[in-house]
Amino acid sequence: MKTIKDKIAKLSFVALLLAVTSAMFYTPTASAHGEKSQAAFMRMRTIHWFDLDWSKDEVAINDTMTISGKFHVFAGWPETVDKPEVSFLNIGIPGPVFIRAGSWIGGQLVPRSVTLELGDTYEFKVLLKARRPGDWHVHTMMNVEGGGPIIGPGKWVTITGSMGDFVNPLTTLTGETIDLEDYALDNVYFWHGLWMAIGVAWMMFWIKRPMFIPRHIAVTSGKADTLISAADKKVAIAFAAGTIGLVMASMGSTNEKYPITTPLQAGLMRGIKAIEMPETSVAVKVEDASYRVPGRAMQMTLTITNNGDSAVRLGEFNTASVRFLDADVLEDESGYPDDLLAEEGLTVSDNSPLAPGETRTVEVTASDAAWEVYRLADLIYDPDSRFAGLLFFFDEDGNRQMVMVDAPLIPTFI
Amino acid sequence: MSASQSAVRSRAEAVQVSRTLDWMILFTLFTAVLGGYHIHYMLTGGDWDFWTDWKDRRLWVTVAPIVSITFPAAVQAMLWYRYRLPFGAVCCVIALMLGEWINRYLNFWGWTYFPVNFCFPSNLVPGAIVLDVVLMLSSSFVLTAVIGGMAYGLLFYPGNWPIIAPLHVPVEYNGMMFTLADLQGYHYVRTGTPEYIRMVEKGTLRTFGKDVAPVSAFFSAFVSIIIYFLWHYFGRWFNKTDFVSGEGI
Repeated sequence: MKTIKDKIAKLSFVALLLAVTSAMFYTPTASAHGEKSQAAFMRMRTIHWFDLDWSKDEVAINDTMTISGKFHVFAGWPETVDKPEVSFLNIGIPGPVFIRAGSWIGGQLVPRSVTLELGDTYEFKVLLKARRPGDWHVHTMMNVEGGGPIIGPGKWVTITGSMGDFVNPLTTLTGETIDLEDYALDNVYFWHGLWMAIGVAWMMFWIKRPMFIPRHIAVTSGKADTLISAADKKVAIAFAAGTIGLVMASMGSTNEKYPITTPLQAGLMRGIKAIEMPETSVAVKVEDASYRVPGRAMQMTLTITNNGDSAVRLGEFNTASVRFLDADVLEDESGYPDDLLAEEGLTVSDNSPLAPGETRTVEVTASDAAWEVYRLADLIYDPDSRFAGLLFFFDEDGNRQMVMVDAPLIPTFI
Repeated sequence: MSASQSAVRSRAEAVQVSRTLDWMILFTLFTAVLGGYHIHYMLTGGDWDFWTDWKDRRLWVTVAPIVSITFPAAVQAMLWYRYRLPFGAVCCVIALMLGEWINRYLNFWGWTYFPVNFCFPSNLVPGAIVLDVVLMLSSSFVLTAVIGGMAYGLLFYPGNWPIIAPLHVPVEYNGMMFTLADLQGYHYVRTGTPEYIRMVEKGTLRTFGKDVAPVSAFFSAFVSIIIYFLWHYFGRWFNKTDFVSGEGI
């Protein structure tokens, strides 16, 4: 009986090992960037990305593509997130599959952190050069010190070719043309190899003789002084002198070889130019807003006043990069990511043209599975249950006006 | 075999066992230090050691020696005072650099494709050799702390300059000046490391013109002396035999 038990135990153990080992072979690619996990209020009430354009869906190694568009820095920035006084326009990709060949905000190159003003809208562009083949989810991203990464919409881009063909040529101010991809790599290997060899030689000098037990016996029996000979001291002095000499000589020769070097460049960039947004002639007051949990829909009661001189209609509600469109007013032609686009997700109780001078109260419903898929419904669990987003109104000529909305949100569970 | 009988039957066998134990202890020490020192250095030196665009003339020069003299001081305390073996510091930095190279090559380059010329580790060997030699010649941990610790801090920047100097050559890019190291940091996207995290060229050392590195190195050297004392005592404390039972230890 005991033998059978032992066999079962042994086989169970083997089975467990096999199961654990085989589980290691299932390693699916992690291709997302955690955008759905970020608190909904952060995506809704900080940076609003719009008019985005990924110039290509497929790009060959060494070719470039751009991501361009605009972002609005929400005036009602949440208290729990530090204000974007130190921000960095980043790009959300899995490592350097592209190199960032350039990034601009308001036409200014922004290789360093910038200060953004609440309530302003900025134009941006990121130039990417393809480096590593594969299918990559490419996100816009704004890092805010004290706030973390605020990720924008992402789109799949395919890079074709071989990484071995990638080059990153540059001409320095000293006139030398280099490939930054492997520039000075031999130099790195040489010096590290040399110094490690010297270090190992020093160790070998001591390791080659008996070490721990005999030396410990000698030390405990009061014969420690006999363990270091005069010859040992000479060798040690030679190592120390050689080390200092090599450091000085290599520094001197390096300064001769590279007479012009500069310190690392750093510092905050202020005064980034915002877009001069046209004066809005549409006034919107949010009377109430609720999120219907079973229906995955947000309902707003809006009182809209048209103070302009042409009739307007509501075409889009954009929040946390999810775009809810009224298909009768607006059709997306930008190739916006499908999962973030609710082409018929916006319903307005009366979306007939709002004449100049007219005021109307309407029920607006933004419904789509994206509320669940992008975990925006989790907003109801946030400590400050408010929503925010951009409303886009269009006149008969297609002119667009952007209006920011921000109001408390009440969940309904039945 | 009774407890009073020896496990070895001849002097030759005893020597063989002793050498086997030497290699086993050395291997264990080397790998334990590799792991512990590596984690310590990544947590305290971290990005300054990871990226070329963090290797500046102020903070990298200051931080790296201070946080890296720790394990060498502790291991020296053990190897010297118990065995009169003067390679504790070098053993530590060789273990650390080997671990770092494995990490940079397999992880940074092999998994995430950051070029090796952007993420190579700092060179700590010159200071470690001098630290060991000072201990051996003086047999005094006070002198080792003061002279060796000072040398450890001072040798760090010149010992690394031949490696990083090519990456401090300036380049004009889209109307702005960068060093090549800056441009590496800009080009090779680190989604989780925004530019403002980078702690370089900060501080108030503005009265020394462009010659900031020596001042930073001296400051680092002074603090390295203090840290050496502290970690020497850590080493001594861990080196006690109170933790194991048995007679004749």
